[in-house]
Amino acid sequence: MARRRDRLVLAALLTPVTLFLGVFFLVPLLTIAVFSFLTPGLYGGVEWAFYHWNYGRIFGWADGIMEVFEPVYLRILGRSLSFAAVTVLLCLILCYPVAFWVSRLPERWRLVFLFLITLPFFSSLIVRLYAWLLILKPSGLLNEMLLGIGLIGAPLEILYTPTAVVLGMVYVMVPFMFLPLFAAVDNLDRSLIEASYDLGATRFQTFRKVILPQTLPGIVGGSVIVFIPSVGNFIVPDVLGGAKGLMAGNLVEQQFLSARNWPFGAALSMLIMSVVLIVLVTFVTRLRPKEG
Amino acid sequence: MTGLLEIRGARRSFATPEGGRIAALDGVDLDVGANEFVTLLGPSGCGKTTLLRSISGFEALDAGVIRLDGRDIGALPPFRRPVNTVFQSYALFGHMSVARNVGYALEVGGVARAERERAVTEALDKVGLAGFGARRPSQLSGGQRQRVALARAIIGRPRILLLDEPLSALDRNLRQQMQLELKTLQHNLGIAFVFVTHDQEEALTMSDRIVVMRAGRIEQQGSPRDIFRHPRTRFVAEFIGETNLFDVTVDRLEGEVAIGRTAEGLELRLPGAGLTVGRRATAVLRPADFRLAEAGLPVTITRSVYLGQDLNLFATPAPGGPEIRVTARDAADAPEVGARVHLAYDAAAVHLLEGA
Amino acid sequence: MRNPLGWLLLTLFSLLFFAFIYAPLAVIIGYSFNANPINMMIWDGFTLDWYRGLFGFADRTADPNSRALYVESTDQLIAALKNSLIVAAVTTSVSTVLGTATAIALARYRFRLRGFYRGFLLLPMMMPDIVLGIGLLIFFVTLGMKLSLLTIIIGHCTFLTSYVFIIVQARIAGIDPALEEASADLGASEWVTLRKVLLPQLAPGIVGGALLAFVISMDDLVITYFIAGTDSTTLPVFIFGMIRRGVKPEINAIATLLILASVLIAALGLWLRSRKIDK
Repeated sequence: MARRRDRLVLAALLTPVTLFLGVFFLVPLLTIAVFSFLTPGLYGGVEWAFYHWNYGRIFGWADGIMEVFEPVYLRILGRSLSFAAVTVLLCLILCYPVAFWVSRLPERWRLVFLFLITLPFFSSLIVRLYAWLLILKPSGLLNEMLLGIGLIGAPLEILYTPTAVVLGMVYVMVPFMFLPLFAAVDNLDRSLIEASYDLGATRFQTFRKVILPQTLPGIVGGSVIVFIPSVGNFIVPDVLGGAKGLMAGNLVEQQFLSARNWPFGAALSMLIMSVVLIVLVTFVTRLRPKEG
Repeated sequence: MTGLLEIRGARRSFATPEGGRIAALDGVDLDVGANEFVTLLGPSGCGKTTLLRSISGFEALDAGVIRLDGRDIGALPPFRRPVNTVFQSYALFGHMSVARNVGYALEVGGVARAERERAVTEALDKVGLAGFGARRPSQLSGGQRQRVALARAIIGRPRILLLDEPLSALDRNLRQQMQLELKTLQHNLGIAFVFVTHDQEEALTMSDRIVVMRAGRIEQQGSPRDIFRHPRTRFVAEFIGETNLFDVTVDRLEGEVAIGRTAEGLELRLPGAGLTVGRRATAVLRPADFRLAEAGLPVTITRSVYLGQDLNLFATPAPGGPEIRVTARDAADAPEVGARVHLAYDAAAVHLLEGA
Repeated sequence: MRNPLGWLLLTLFSLLFFAFIYAPLAVIIGYSFNANPINMMIWDGFTLDWYRGLFGFADRTADPNSRALYVESTDQLIAALKNSLIVAAVTTSVSTVLGTATAIALARYRFRLRGFYRGFLLLPMMMPDIVLGIGLLIFFVTLGMKLSLLTIIIGHCTFLTSYVFIIVQARIAGIDPALEEASADLGASEWVTLRKVLLPQLAPGIVGGALLAFVISMDDLVITYFIAGTDSTTLPVFIFGMIRRGVKPEINAIATLLILASVLIAALGLWLRSRKIDK
């Protein structure tokens, strides 16, 4: 409605948010972009001069003098992407069957188990990761148990390996995958499945042709919600990863807090941001319309 | 008519997704008197709801003026207009008791609690819900909720009460009961009611005046009897009640009566006043205008619909000819399908539509 | 279900799944009572020492040096907890107001930038924490702002507004707009309608959003890590630091208490949601 009163009310409602997010969200993101092109100062800090070698250092056009190209950065970025992808896959494999199971339970039990799934994730992330630290370390619970049973001869080196990182991320991301999946599975039209069996399809065929397509929006949604935080994750690899599990997020943290090379760190952040935006845009424009 | 509400030249259009504009109101003039029960009647999309909402202030007009007691209220926001609405969904405040719902207008208007409670009791009394004050809307039936909505709207003594299809959610019996109650209430309160509905029976039952709308315009307005007996256009004739329409050309004149012929060759006797040979006209004959008799229009019964007391008979003079609807009492001598009967009617009672 | 064997397997799988989820928590709780300070895997007997150490009443026979460390840590721990609570309280208030206002604006008014705002509000939630943290760090430092509780609060509000927005938006979608029209019709101005009709109807959504914001704020590590000043640590950051310095039994005690707190909050949320509020 074009009335003046309405316009005033609308402005009153939206102005605070617009200002707040504009200043404290958009501007900082822009600042990262700007900084990624600045020159790092000798003792930390920045010099306000255009400097594209930050990106050069990552991709290979180093100037050879101050900056050297090391493929390690690309490797770590690639590793972040692959870890995130594996995390998504594992979360799917874990959550999908359980989503089915919970949705088939009688009403009262359903609520109980839904609550039980979300409950641990009210407790602090750092606490949960710390627990895995205790379990996975050489003198930790897992190894003690396996040694005790006699399954292994020497402690397994799980901590500070990529396995530990992925395990930790999966553990953290499971509720983000579970809830959209459950919503999709719960909304399945049972009569379609019955019809499929009725027409002679096997269980596998029914799954492939009826159930999977119907739950696809939930699968895609959950995957996006898991992938994005996984790519830029820094806590999990920091606690559980060690040198072999370094991810893009750790690189950024190092540049900002140890190496004090803010422009380089900003450039790395820009790459993470770009990946996220690409995934988001793809999701919104190409994948979402499927939801009809 | 004491000109309580005057609307002149109301226009409102909306942009369509395809990029064009659709006119919800296309130049509407309306008057409502102080103690009138006016019904806006028409199919969906005719603009009746838009017109109603422009009175209450929830739709702004693109052009035109709305005057209440001579004062232009077009610029006033809804909460400043002395007009109240009964919504189709009732819109009761679920988090408040019935009493607080009903007293809301007074609460918002700063009326003291004692006075408020008194007024609430009185209003609940008037709608037949005495003692329901402490209940919650979720505990009420549909009909009861409707009455609460009513009580809530009248407590502030508005000059006009607007009702937006308030009975559409009720079952038939309850609806008919509420129709009578609303009519009585309006009469007792002495305020103007503007009632929106698409149900022509409802309109005929309750209104002092019916305003038939179509495509953003007023097709015809008048008393229920007027509209029923003398529809001016084909649309009004078909919308109100069951009807038979015959497009005829005047064949010859026989004294006071003119004989008109349809394209299928059916001959009808029409009131001759003002007709000349060769003139085209549309004759309106209601099913109840026909009688089963010994002599008259010869027809064969093609269908029979049982209505309880009556039968809805469909008859045709010749195969492929026009299907004529006739109402007859369900009695032992009622004709069966396939029977040949005669239809008699009074030529003077035949109504002709304006224009061809 | 069709296949009893299939159902059995599915149930087994699901129960293992739940074991997987709860195992780490059980481990911590168990260890927090284990009297063995060195090798936690060996059960040495039940003890509350670690809890006592937390509150400064450490065993006198323990190494005086390490005791000094933990008395210090207790003060720091309490300070960190206080900071977390202050930040969470302020953040919750601000982001609830902002998120609710935006949800109302987008639900009740038609305007050209509506779709844009919907995306704009969701963006902070979708950005990885580290990008937000870095951006705010650069932003604050370039502006010359000192890192403090205020900067943490600002940082939290940027993405928590999104969470509140989503929850309130979902709730408002189920509220009949005719209610607000009725209120206006009966003489209430916009502000009165908001107070007497819309906000009470929105209450479950607002409370849910506020609770979520509070919990997430209390738990936030990454963003806070970057924009906290040296004297404004929050609880998660403090624990993170402790872990980095080495595994100590007191951490188990803290962790267990935190788990307990989170269970209480989750139960509170459940209780609030189960209370019937008439539509």
